[in-house]
Amino acid sequence: MHPSRGVVRRTVRPAVPLLALALALSACGSDGGGGGGSSADGRIEGRITFQTWNLRAGYKDYFESLVKEFEEKYPDVTVKWQDQPAEHYADKLGADAAAGTLPDVVNVSPDLSYPLAKAGVLLNLDKEPVAAKFKGEYTAEAWRGNTLPGLDGAYAFPWYLTTGPLFYNKALFRDAGLDPEKPPRTYDELFGAAAELSRRSGGRTATLAGTPAIEDFGRYGVRLMDEDATRFTYNEPRGVELLTRYKRLHDEGGLDPQALTSTPEQAGRKFLEQKVAMNPGGANDLANFRKNAPSLYRNLGITDAPNNTGKPNMYVMGLAVNRNGKHKAAAIAFAHFVTDRKNQEAFAHRVAVFPSTKGSLDDPYWTKHDGTDEGRVRVASAKSLKGAVNYTPVVMSDEMKTILRNEVAKALQGKKSPKEALDDAVAQSDRLLRRK
Amino acid sequence: MTRTSWAEKAFRYVLLLAVLALTVGPFLWQLSTSFKSTTEDVYTSPPRFLPEHPTAHNYAEVADIVPVWDYALNSLTVAVASVLTNLIGASTAGYALARLRFRGRGAAGLAFVAALLVPAESLVIAQFTMMRDLHLNNTLTAVVLPGAVGALNVLLMRNAFANVPREIEEAAVVDGANTWQRFTRIALPSVRGTLAVVAIFAFMGAWDDFLWPLIVLSDSERYTLTVGLNFLHGTFQQNPRLVAAGTVIAVAPLVVLFACLQRYFFRGAGEGAVKG
Repeated sequence: MHPSRGVVRRTVRPAVPLLALALALSACGSDGGGGGGSSADGRIEGRITFQTWNLRAGYKDYFESLVKEFEEKYPDVTVKWQDQPAEHYADKLGADAAAGTLPDVVNVSPDLSYPLAKAGVLLNLDKEPVAAKFKGEYTAEAWRGNTLPGLDGAYAFPWYLTTGPLFYNKALFRDAGLDPEKPPRTYDELFGAAAELSRRSGGRTATLAGTPAIEDFGRYGVRLMDEDATRFTYNEPRGVELLTRYKRLHDEGGLDPQALTSTPEQAGRKFLEQKVAMNPGGANDLANFRKNAPSLYRNLGITDAPNNTGKPNMYVMGLAVNRNGKHKAAAIAFAHFVTDRKNQEAFAHRVAVFPSTKGSLDDPYWTKHDGTDEGRVRVASAKSLKGAVNYTPVVMSDEMKTILRNEVAKALQGKKSPKEALDDAVAQSDRLLRRK
Repeated sequence: MTRTSWAEKAFRYVLLLAVLALTVGPFLWQLSTSFKSTTEDVYTSPPRFLPEHPTAHNYAEVADIVPVWDYALNSLTVAVASVLTNLIGASTAGYALARLRFRGRGAAGLAFVAALLVPAESLVIAQFTMMRDLHLNNTLTAVVLPGAVGALNVLLMRNAFANVPREIEEAAVVDGANTWQRFTRIALPSVRGTLAVVAIFAFMGAWDDFLWPLIVLSDSERYTLTVGLNFLHGTFQQNPRLVAAGTVIAVAPLVVLFACLQRYFFRGAGEGAVKG
C-alpha cells in the first residue's frame, strides 16, 4: 500500500538504534549552539560535496552534466558528486553526522532529515535569508512537506515528488466476472470487489498483498497525530473502522496469505506474479512491469487510489544543506540550482517523478497525455498532486512503523481486537516519541 | 556388520537431495534469472527454471552501470589483506594462548571469548570516529583494520595448537629449539587444516561485509564489490536480472576459493574436534 515503493522501500529497518546512537554522539561532539561553518551569504566558492541516494544507476549522465553546468556558472566552485547505495542510507548519514563528515548538500526525505535536523547538523532554510528567498519558487505543499514539526522551519529544498495510482490486473478481474473497465473508486467499492474476487475464484485470487500502513490510515481520513506531533491518534474510531474492514477482508481470503509479513517490495512482487489483483504503485513502476512481467503489462489496468480526504498521498524528496559546511554559500547555491524549475523539469522528463517547483505541473507535458500508458499515468498523477500531502508523519521512525505493522498483524490474526491493537500501537509509539 | 536396507538408502538420498535443493536452489534460481532476457517474465507462477531466450547481455549491462572490475579489485585487495593479517595474527596469538605461559593468559583468552559476544553493528560508529581521528577514513586500510585479527579465528587457532600433542614440542625443546622455531617448524605445519579454515573465514568475511565498508568509504571509486553492486538496485529501475547477474559475479570467487581449499577445509573442521 505504498505508492512509489521505489522510494519508500529504502527507509532502512535496523537503522534506528544506530542512528540514534550516532546522533547522541554527535550531540556531545558539537560545539554547542551557534552555526559552525562558514557564513551563508559569503562568496560562492570552494569545494563542496553533493550526495544523492541511489540515483547513479541510470542517471549518471544527468548528474555529471548538472555539476559541469554549475561549475561553468561559478568557476570558483568545484562540486564532487557521490551517490550512496539504497541500503543502510540512514546508518551512513548517522555515522557521517557523528563524525562531522556529512556532505555539504545531502539528498534526504523528511523522515531522514528529522533526526539530523534535531541534532543540529542541517541548515534551517526558513531562518537563513539567503536560502529563504527561494521559498516562493516551490509549491506550498512541497515546502510544507519539508518543514519539520517542532523544529520551526524547512530543512531541505524541495526536490522531486512521487505519487502514484492503483494498478490492477484486468485478466484477474475478468476471470472473477468483474468488469475490467470498472475498477473500484471508493473504499466501499474496493472492499466489495475484493469480496467478489475471493468468492468467485474460490479463494485463489487475493485482492491486496499488503496490510494497511500509516499512509493508508491517512488516506482513509484517520487523524494520525495531534496538532504539534507529540501524540499519535490513529486509534480513533475511524482508524479502528479501517482495520476492522481489513480484518474482514483477511477472513474472506482477500489478503494474500503472506501479507502479514510482506514488505512493500514483496507485495509488489506478488502483483508481478499475478497472484494478487491490485497493488498501489508509482508512475515509475510501468517500466518495471513492462520489463519484468510483459504478460501482466498487457492486462494492466490503472486507476486512482481511493481516498476519503480528497487529498492523495505523495512522497517528498529534498536537498538539505550541512549547517557546519565550510562553503555554505556555494552549498546553498548548488542545492537551489539542482532544485530549480529548469533542472527539476529536466530530471522529471527522464524519470517518472514530478517536479516540486511552482507552475511546472501546468506544463503540457504534465497536463496533456500523448496516448501512451506512461502519459496517462503521468497526467493523472500530476493532477492528483495538487493538494497532495505526505501523510507519513516525519517523526514516525521505522521502529514505530514496525510497531504498527506488528499490531495490525495481531489484529488480522484475531489475537487482538482492532481497537486493542491500535491502542497498543499508539501507546508504544508515544512512549518512543517521549523518549527522544 | 549392518547393512542398510534399500528403503533406508533411498530415504537418505531423498533427504540429501532435499537439503541440496534447499541450499543450492536459491543460487541456481539467481543463476537462471541472470540469463533471462528482457522479453520474458521473471516472476511466473509456477516459476520457470530455464530461461527461454538465454543471454549474457545482463552481465555486460552490469559492467556498464558499475565499474565491476575496479570494485572486484578493491574487494580482492581487502580480502587478501584480511586473509594475511588473520593468518599471521590469529596463529601467533593462538599459539601464545595455547602454549606460552604468561601472567594474565586466562584473562586474555576470556577477552577473546567476550569479543565474540559484541555485535559488530554496535561498534560501527565508534570505529568510524576512530578511523577519522587516524585520518584513515575513506581508505581501504580502514576497511581491513577492524577485521584484521578476528577473535573467532584466534580461538580456532588456540584450540588447534592446544590439540597438538605436547610431547612433540617437548622433544623439540630437548633438541634445543627455541619458541619461534617450535612455532614455525612444528606447530604451524600440524594445523594446516585450521589455517585453511581461517583463510576461508577471513576471505568470506571481508568479501561479504557490507555495512562497514559502506560507512567508512565515501568515494564510490573505492567501494568494494558488495557495496558497489548495491547500485544495481536503482531507485527507479528494478531489474532483477541485473541484480542476479551481480550476485553471481560476487559469489563466483567464493565458489572458486572454496573449491580450491575444500580438501583442507574439511580436514580443518574436524581437526580441533577429533584429536586430543
